[in-house]
Amino acid sequence: MQHQASWLHRKRTRDVALVACFLLPALTIFFLYRILPLGWNLWLSFHTWSPLKPAKWIGLEHYEEMLLDDDVFWQALTNTLIFIGASPLAIAAALGIALLVNSDLRGASVYRTIVFTSYPLMTVAVGIIWRWLYDERGGFINYVLRSSGVVDEPVKFLQSFDLALACVILAEFWQVLGFFMIILLTGLQSIPQHLYEAARVDGVPPVARFFRITLPLLRPSIFLCIVVGILNSFTSFDLVYVMTNGGPGHATELLITYIYKSGFGQTRFDYAAALTVVQFLLLIVLTWLANRLSGGNAGAMER
Amino acid sequence: MRRAPTWPRHAIMVAVCTLMLIPFYWVVKTSLTGENIYAYPPRILPQDPHLFSYVDVWYLIPFTRYLLNSLIVTAMAICGNLLFNTAAGYALTKDFPAKRWVILLFLSCMLIPFQATIIPAYLITSWLGVLNTHLGIALPLLSTIICIFVFKASFEAVPKSLIDAARIDGLSEWRIVVRIMLPLSKPAIATNVILTFIWSWNAFMWPLIVTRTADMQTLPLGLARFLSVMENTTGALYAFVVMVLVPGLAIFLMAQKEFIRGLTSGATKG
Repeated sequence: MQHQASWLHRKRTRDVALVACFLLPALTIFFLYRILPLGWNLWLSFHTWSPLKPAKWIGLEHYEEMLLDDDVFWQALTNTLIFIGASPLAIAAALGIALLVNSDLRGASVYRTIVFTSYPLMTVAVGIIWRWLYDERGGFINYVLRSSGVVDEPVKFLQSFDLALACVILAEFWQVLGFFMIILLTGLQSIPQHLYEAARVDGVPPVARFFRITLPLLRPSIFLCIVVGILNSFTSFDLVYVMTNGGPGHATELLITYIYKSGFGQTRFDYAAALTVVQFLLLIVLTWLANRLSGGNAGAMER
Repeated sequence: MRRAPTWPRHAIMVAVCTLMLIPFYWVVKTSLTGENIYAYPPRILPQDPHLFSYVDVWYLIPFTRYLLNSLIVTAMAICGNLLFNTAAGYALTKDFPAKRWVILLFLSCMLIPFQATIIPAYLITSWLGVLNTHLGIALPLLSTIICIFVFKASFEAVPKSLIDAARIDGLSEWRIVVRIMLPLSKPAIATNVILTFIWSWNAFMWPLIVTRTADMQTLPLGLARFLSVMENTTGALYAFVVMVLVPGLAIFLMAQKEFIRGLTSGATKG
């Protein structure tokens, strides 16, 4: 009896050791490149530090500088919020497209592929393509506007303080539209068909069917799109870097490009860390807010 | 019941698709154009098309160097992902103490965008001594949480009886994974390979931070550098763009189903 118990015990220990070995590489990577940086950012944001100087505790000075004296920070924050705030437009467009290609339309899969194809492209290349579309002389957009008589003079889209941000957002829409469409399509296909049949039998008009069945049941997918929209304010670094590099002035500066510039342009790692903390908090708060607005437990689907 | 005609929907979709395709067309057209690309008005069709710009790319920039760097980093990322994600995914199918916490840890890591970690990630990489190396570029890409869960789901679908039979036959855990689990999880492997390929092939910000010298630059960095060095010159930039986009597009079009499944399964997992 005792012999068997110790054998079981040994087997159990061996299993746990095996699981630990299997998990270790992945956990190490996520510890080094996710968890540790999170804490390190927080620590750095309360210190003055540069690679050659020892760290010194300065409390909230970085945050004071940021909130009280730093105009660029406020500009970057506003731009980031505009960037995030514009994503519902893309989500609405994607929802329209998803509804069109979800039905038994012939050739729907071709349409789907075409709309989605811009998503997996290299963002740097997308930036260059759109720069070229906006170009004053060789660009397609100016060509169309001028030849159709909308404008007389070529518009310097990316050099304009008023238009540059909108132009970058439009390029971002072009890339992410297909992804939104796919998420919404997956959501649409998970809605049970018999609900629509029951509604049709009861004589519910199509518009009411959309608002009473489709939209409520699509809430988790819409929530997901909004989260992706929020995350895009981080990942659009590539696009901004190539298209405008934050310019003209700081008209297209996002928090993430400003973090990069303070960290690696001015080697102010400590200040960049404080900026990162603010942006991360913004991300958490907005995600929480989106979750609340979309009915509370939207993120908990399929778990 | 009378059905609504489908042509208005076709008309809308054709219009949408045209808008989506115009940027592709414009860049391909520019890369083939023989005349001055800044001439106004630009022509809709390329004027005496030729491939000079594509030949130019080989002379103007170290294209093979960039390509090689991109390939090395991508290969490292794919190998790391396959190895680490299968291992972690398999471990998560077993019962062990604190399993709930490990899963919670993975899920919360998913909420931390990599871009929010760049400053310490740079310092850590420099501390590890791999700045400006292929390994340094690939390191943060070596494992993906979404793919760990894809593997977990796929392994859980393997019948328990099969695993028990293998265990009775005396197969070790590692061989159970390699001989039984993996051959039954081909879709998961495909998803993992494709997602990793697209992500590491397109990665820009991290390589921008960790590379110091031109000989370590990957294709996206080469593109950005080319743009800043010779912005207003020829169609070569746009030929370069096309050359960079083609591999990613080809892989995506070949494996569209796996790619989309990976994205949506990742999406529904949180």
